Amino acid sequence: MLKEEAIEILAQGRSGALSVATMQGAAPWHEAGQGKSMHIDASGCMGSAASLALGLALGRPQDKVIVIDGDGSLLMQLGSLVTVASTQAENYYHFVFANGLYESSGNQPIPGQGIFDFCALAKGAGYRCTFNFETAAEFKAGLPEVLASKGPVFINLKIARDDRKPRWAGISMSSQVKALRAELETR
Amino acid sequence: MTTPQTPAAASTAAPVALSISGEALANAIKALGVTHVITVPDTYIKSTIAALETPGMPKMVYACTEDEAMGINAGLYIAGAKPMMLVQNNGLYACLNTLKTIALDATVPTFILIGQYLRDVTKTVEDNKPRAVRLLEPTLQVWDVPVFRLEGPADLGNVRLAWELAQKNNGPTAAIVGAPTN
Repeated sequence: MLKEEAIEILAQGRSGALSVATMQGAAPWHEAGQGKSMHIDASGCMGSAASLALGLALGRPQDKVIVIDGDGSLLMQLGSLVTVASTQAENYYHFVFANGLYESSGNQPIPGQGIFDFCALAKGAGYRCTFNFETAAEFKAGLPEVLASKGPVFINLKIARDDRKPRWAGISMSSQVKALRAELETR
Repeated sequence: MTTPQTPAAASTAAPVALSISGEALANAIKALGVTHVITVPDTYIKSTIAALETPGMPKMVYACTEDEAMGINAGLYIAGAKPMMLVQNNGLYACLNTLKTIALDATVPTFILIGQYLRDVTKTVEDNKPRAVRLLEPTLQVWDVPVFRLEGPADLGNVRLAWELAQKNNGPTAAIVGAPTN
């Protein structure tokens, strides 16, 4: 499926959840109008989206937290699968946009492309359940079940190669930290 | 084949750094109002970790890496909690990019208690041979991270000073435990 298709489906199903997006998932998430509230980007620290979201999930057990991660990003801090699973955070939903490429740096292949299995890794790490969606239709049909499941949940999305120039949300993380913290204080 | 390194704290020379009670250090952390201690454990602070694992203490969160610990710290802070980190000197070196991006650039209060693993307590930090010990403070200073030493029980007040400065600056501070806690 196209990245934008996955983003649109996720945006429609978000339903007030906190969100953390990273790398090439972040700009489309903002373009879909999802960056204004209950959101922060993990930018400049590949691999940190999962742990940043885990902190939010532990601190806000009353809110669902969705992570828009990349496969190359997650590989940079793969141990975070175990760290997340060790908490058994019931409100944690880890979406990995898997295109098999380092898109931001020019679509170079990630290690192990087509060889390793993220869902198997997540399941083995201790995520409560995993899903794999290859088409937009499958993802749209399956998302309600995903979000009705008790976390931590891992969702692998097969995303098509995108040869356009990389895009960035261009919003400083420090301003997002302040804004989101202030927003959560009022809820 | 390399010779395994062992802590050098058993020398008979007079100590420069004195042990702080793990219980006292844990109580100093609790007194700050800390809600979560995110850790990749350190040998020199193991008695502090044990004291933090007792009822009534802040919640312990164990991470696989210091990068993750810093991310969790940020998420908890944004969520309104009062987290801190507890790591080893080697762990600080392991998470410099995340320190740069999350603690510094994203302006997240990040109080880091760091154990000086392999420190020979009979020597000053500057006279210690292991790079992990000797280069810790210079490394932190390069990154504009304020450093507070805990060289003995008399320095326990530095825990609060380091914590409060992190909150005030919206950035990282480090309190370095110079001798194994007991």
